[in-house]
Amino acid sequence: MTEDERARELTPPSAPALRLRGISKSYGPVVACDAVDLAVHQGEIHGLLGENGAGKSTLMKILLGLVQRDAGTILHHDGPVDIGSPQEAVALGIGMVHQHFSLINPLTVWENVILGDTGKIDKGAACDQVRDVSQRYGLPIDPLAKVERLSAGERQRVELIKCLRRDPSVLILDEPTSVLTQAESAELFGVLRHVVRSENRAVILISHKLAEITAATDRVTVLRKGKVVFQSATAETGPQELARQMVGREVSLGSEAAALGLLPVEPPRTGESGTGKVETSVAALRLRGLTVTVDGVRVLSDLDLDVAPGEIVGLYGVEGNGQSNLGDVLSGLVLPDSGSVEISGRPVDLNRPGALHAAGLGIVPEDRHASGVVLDMSVAENLVMKSLNAVSGRAFVSRRKTHEVARRLAAEFNIVTPSMDTPVRSLSGGNQQRVVLARELSAGPLVLVAAQPTHGLDVGAIEDMYRRLRDVASGGVAVLLISTELEEVMALSSRIAVISSGRITGVLSTGEATAERLGMLVGGVAA
Amino acid sequence: MNEVREDLRQDSPQRPGRKPHPAPGTDDTSGRRLLAFLTPSAGGWQTGLATVVGVLVALALSSLLIAVTGGSPLASVQALFQGSMANWTAWTSTLLYAAPLLLVAVGACVSARSGTFNIGQEGQVLIGALFGAWVGLRLAVPGPLLLVIVLLAASLAGGAWAALSSLMYRIRGVNIVVSTLLMIFIAQQLVAFAVNTSWLLQESRIGDAIVSPQSNPLPAGALLGSVGEYPNLQVNGGLLLALVGAVLVAVALARTRWGFRLTMLGLNPLAAKHAGVRVNALGGMALAISGAFAGLAGAVLLTSPVGVNRLQSGIAMNIGWDGMLVALVARNRPLLTIPVALLFGVLRSGGGFLAATGVPPFLVDVVKALLVLAFVAPPVIVAMIRRRRAGVRTARAEHRPAPVAEGAAL
Repeated sequence: MTEDERARELTPPSAPALRLRGISKSYGPVVACDAVDLAVHQGEIHGLLGENGAGKSTLMKILLGLVQRDAGTILHHDGPVDIGSPQEAVALGIGMVHQHFSLINPLTVWENVILGDTGKIDKGAACDQVRDVSQRYGLPIDPLAKVERLSAGERQRVELIKCLRRDPSVLILDEPTSVLTQAESAELFGVLRHVVRSENRAVILISHKLAEITAATDRVTVLRKGKVVFQSATAETGPQELARQMVGREVSLGSEAAALGLLPVEPPRTGESGTGKVETSVAALRLRGLTVTVDGVRVLSDLDLDVAPGEIVGLYGVEGNGQSNLGDVLSGLVLPDSGSVEISGRPVDLNRPGALHAAGLGIVPEDRHASGVVLDMSVAENLVMKSLNAVSGRAFVSRRKTHEVARRLAAEFNIVTPSMDTPVRSLSGGNQQRVVLARELSAGPLVLVAAQPTHGLDVGAIEDMYRRLRDVASGGVAVLLISTELEEVMALSSRIAVISSGRITGVLSTGEATAERLGMLVGGVAA
Repeated sequence: MNEVREDLRQDSPQRPGRKPHPAPGTDDTSGRRLLAFLTPSAGGWQTGLATVVGVLVALALSSLLIAVTGGSPLASVQALFQGSMANWTAWTSTLLYAAPLLLVAVGACVSARSGTFNIGQEGQVLIGALFGAWVGLRLAVPGPLLLVIVLLAASLAGGAWAALSSLMYRIRGVNIVVSTLLMIFIAQQLVAFAVNTSWLLQESRIGDAIVSPQSNPLPAGALLGSVGEYPNLQVNGGLLLALVGAVLVAVALARTRWGFRLTMLGLNPLAAKHAGVRVNALGGMALAISGAFAGLAGAVLLTSPVGVNRLQSGIAMNIGWDGMLVALVARNRPLLTIPVALLFGVLRSGGGFLAATGVPPFLVDVVKALLVLAFVAPPVIVAMIRRRRAGVRTARAEHRPAPVAEGAAL
């Protein structure tokens, strides 16, 4: 980079294409954006970096008119604007490519591209337009192809063409590479470079991948808990610094959270297994080479992980990096393309329904309403549904035995319910989660997988869940905690495995886990 | 992931509402259980009220329709009563209709409770009757044994016919609602072909007589007779069969491991799969059972004095459709189907009588449709209003719902 260019970046010549001043937005008590300042200039790619819940998406929704800000001003080419609806955003020339494609699969490319237009449908003109845009930006696509037959990379191109056709002055891309291969990502960044260089547009690139941000952007802003914590020209910073800024918190998190009354005061388990290796005994849970493909996208690739009896391993990473897919595999809902799951050294035949449960794997699934409980069945029925043999004869389910088991478990796990026949639907979230945990633990598992176990629970219920997970581990059960909350992972686990783009990028003991190293691993860079 | 969920759910556009449960803190005995089945479910007084209002509106609209078409509503009600309940003969005819209706409805409950919506009962009834007739006319087996074989063959055929739909779903992902529906037309063609083809089931030519598109009458040994001795009332064996079926299914659904798994599958297929249920096998079996009940209803239509004991193209008389409606009105509770089937039997036998008084016969169908709507719509409407209210609340909290599919949370 020459001195001139550097000078130009430090003192941008023109007014910024878009400037945000003091943008704030809260949802009830949750502050999503807290006085965010951001300036995006023409001719630059601006990286927006942050973890889950940092406020990136809320900020962009405000820009797109999907969410109304509580305070602050938006300046578009130095004129204050009010973006009340997505239509107004489009009129201002703000276009966005969402992380999850908003394409209609059975329709063709050109049909998807003109969707939302008004007036007469002119297939020829639409196709010409698609070809024109695709040639100009080097996004080869057949306008007559059906979207459902396209690869993820090609679908991304269609989204881009949809956006670029409207000639936007500011183009926002939300985690655009989460479904792309390396080559497709490189291609995408080439296109973006072209868009800013030769057409003087502005691009906002939202990502949590450090390599991407450092390679593709000109300036970078780091958001953490709704605040801008760091802003710099990309050339003047590096992945280490960015990683530190993104994760931010220091390792004494457990005690800090305890001071806030969020966590039980017990210190986190550390020690024997602190070296990050499990050598002492056969791993209770051993995952080898798990590969899962969904819609042609590799969501898990060659994932290896060991959990020893009595230890809690935290699987940490930004949402959408394959955690939920791993949860689905371990719930028996999805068959992996390849790879094996071993429990106490014995491989599990994943084709057999209920095999994981029979082998001794209990799971608290991520979305308890989807697969954890049957909302319209009673508490008692939910508590016994996985071990019907214990409460039934050859054909009939014994109501008496069911109730006995249910009453015992409800007492043991403090499940608050008006009666054992109450449908689980009318229980609070914390009690529903206890029903799931009680059922899974009642089978005496060797391995417990807890996926986002405290999602949507109140503080008391969270505390209870933490205490129980610790008790379970100290009873010799191997616990795999899948979580996107760093505090949770740091407070509970003895080892932290970081997942990024469907593979484990590193395993650290809690003692070794500095913000910088975690941030690097989360960003997909080996630390 | 999501696709799995949707595939499993798409076949159940109507799912049973909330499961009833006895009052909190009581030990449930069978009697209480039964009551729980009959009383509106939790928070359901709105549903109950809406149902009562719905029925009143349906009756008012029906009277209005009859009045508009030149009839007298009061006379119509009288005729309806005359034809269905006024004397033993009327009752006999009502019960004869109720039996196959009940059989179809009980089967419909099984598949609906598993989350699969079978709407092809009309075809399954026809196929049951077709195979029942074929076996009954071809096998030279003595008396009661032949009847048993006819009934068995009919239910097997009906079950297999329904299982074809589940097979199509497994192999090619064909929507079960669509395939069960379209199979009706194939069944109709098959029956029409059979009764028009001399080497199949068409009646034998006697001398120079003209042969009709129907089969020979079934031998006396294959016919369902009356059960018990009452002065003028005849209670056909078919009704007994249907009642036993309803009770068996009710017990199986409420008490057995099979019923537990089936309920789990119907209410949350993902959780069922997670709990080790063979989702496809169990769902397919439920569909086959529902087809078997419909097939059995076909055999009852063939062998009981409700018809002429011959296979004819029109033998199903829309019993399949009406039976499905019975299950809908009974909200898929097997025991509730008994009174509802009786009501539909009343409408059928009374409807025939009504037509004789000059009211156009299609009006009976309109009245039936209005009644079905009055029973089926209220829970849906109540749920919709609740959801709308909840939706307004959420929207207010978020200022406005995002019109575009959004990615990451926050």
